[in-house]
Amino acid sequence: MIQVKGLSKYFKNVKAVDNINFTVSEGEIVGLLGENGAGKTTTLRMIATMLKPTSGTALINGYDLLKEPHKVRSSIGILFGGEAGLYDRLTARENIKYFADLNNMGEKESRENIDRLIKMLDMEEYADRRVGKFSRGMKQKVAIARSIVHNPKVMLFDEPTLGLDVTSSKIVQDFILSCKNENKAIIFSSHSMQEVEKLCDRIVIIHKGKIIEDMKVSDFKAKYGQDLEKIFVELVGDK
Amino acid sequence: MNMKAIMTVFKKELIDLLRDKKTVIVSIVIPLIIFPIMFGLMGRSVEGNIKKTSENLKISIKSKNENQLIAFLKSQKNITVVDSIDIKKDVQDGKIYLGLIIPDNIEESIKNEKSADIKIIYDDTSQNSNMACNIIKSLIEEYSKEVVKTRLISKGIDYSILTPINIKEEVAAKEKGGFGKYMMSLLLPLILIIYGMTGPMAAATDLGAGEKERGTLEPLLTTQAGRMSLLFGKLLSITVMGLIGTISSIIGLMIGVKAGASAFGGDIPLIFSPITVIMIGIFVLLIIMVFGALELSISIYARSFKEAQTYLSPLTIIGMAGAYGTYMIDAKNASTVLFNVPLANVSLVIKEFIIGIYNPLHIGITFGWNIVYIVLAVLFARYMFSKEEVIFRV
Repeated sequence: MIQVKGLSKYFKNVKAVDNINFTVSEGEIVGLLGENGAGKTTTLRMIATMLKPTSGTALINGYDLLKEPHKVRSSIGILFGGEAGLYDRLTARENIKYFADLNNMGEKESRENIDRLIKMLDMEEYADRRVGKFSRGMKQKVAIARSIVHNPKVMLFDEPTLGLDVTSSKIVQDFILSCKNENKAIIFSSHSMQEVEKLCDRIVIIHKGKIIEDMKVSDFKAKYGQDLEKIFVELVGDK
Repeated sequence: MNMKAIMTVFKKELIDLLRDKKTVIVSIVIPLIIFPIMFGLMGRSVEGNIKKTSENLKISIKSKNENQLIAFLKSQKNITVVDSIDIKKDVQDGKIYLGLIIPDNIEESIKNEKSADIKIIYDDTSQNSNMACNIIKSLIEEYSKEVVKTRLISKGIDYSILTPINIKEEVAAKEKGGFGKYMMSLLLPLILIIYGMTGPMAAATDLGAGEKERGTLEPLLTTQAGRMSLLFGKLLSITVMGLIGTISSIIGLMIGVKAGASAFGGDIPLIFSPITVIMIGIFVLLIIMVFGALELSISIYARSFKEAQTYLSPLTIIGMAGAYGTYMIDAKNASTVLFNVPLANVSLVIKEFIIGIYNPLHIGITFGWNIVYIVLAVLFARYMFSKEEVIFRV
């Protein structure tokens, strides 16, 4: 579903991402693990066609991101961490609808999808209120609904739980698992080993733009032992 | 780029902007009320001042003896003669509007058919003093004409020998309300250009840097709407906001002029012909589009709202220079070369429209150049929107 082939991105002389290769299949959650500045966000931005790769490419849902960026964008949903990035002066429903429209959905289809998502995420009560005064958890739900309103086959999560409290983190984690149940291909970037261990099927460790480990969580534990946090620090620490 | 996405962005941005109290106040409410308030106060104070000064001219006269001139001045209803020890100082302090120094032998000089020198001390930095000076001068003139008349009559000469020519003024402008139109041709281009420039600013700041600051830009870039659709949708909504702001400032100006009409000689054409309004509207729209695109480009480059505002403020000064540069140019004699100067050309062409000139050459040159500016500004915005370093500059 996702095939990353020799993807590189240089910013002037800095190699932010340096010739990386990995794949993600349907229904699989791959944890992209790395420290701040390791190249996680740059990788995701390239996959989402926001940044042009310096070299290499990736196939997303069968579309090449260099040749058919438009089709790639129709196949992906993306959820960012930190601020939810919503329009405060629009209602929850309007925020979601805006992205449905921008993703070229028909009126009927978008209305049905939005209603379903509002119900699923338990947002009926405040769906038609402006998001400016929402709590963090409420905003997170709107952002979740927005990211998936166009039924993407691939979901990208860029440190989605960054700065969230326990309740809001739980909402996001449940959402990621529900995406897995819907057989989507998922990349989940994080710098928290615990979270990766909890959610992911496979771990890709990225350090200074290069992949230094790529294996199943169970194999990983068998190879290095149980304390993943410690292993992570050891793996990236001395390089 | 697709039309549906452009319209989606346009509609959303317009709703978003119109729900923002800050934007509505800055770009619609303030332009609407600022002129009525300004001109209302100005008109009232000018009127009040004129009345106050002309109805009670406080002057001081220095002369050793009473004479006919003093009696003549004192006989004027609106003149109050005040005693003053130091005339110069009192004039400077504004205690009296002016001082007259009349020579002691004035009566004698007049009798002997000689001329006498009268000195007026006034303060040319004071509006009241200037006004008083004019009134007193014309009174003295009147008095000296009387003296001449008596002299001529005593010699048996007809008084009309002194006025071989009588002037009768007739205004030759095509339409009425000439002075008001002239005032409008000074003011309106200035206001329209400044508002055309600043009108889109609040919206541009919000739609570029604001989007970055809120973290909404990245999700937007992952949708199927291409960057150019986003850009054009945004440009369209900024243009409309600029237009709304400009229209409200014109309405405000009209109300204001009416409220303070006396400050403009009470003769201002409030309604232009539809063709004038349309022509002016077209050129203001061009200005809005040029600056809207420029402002959006700068705003998208900025990391935050604050930074955008800092970068945008010099633009206002450039615009002011263009508008003020043509402030005193007479629209009837504007050289064609000037129509190649950015901003100045629009200002001049609007001036011409106001006084009823439609010069195809001037209109053509100005229109052509402004289309060029728009294309350049939009290309610049496009360049900025496609640059990764700009979009992800945080």
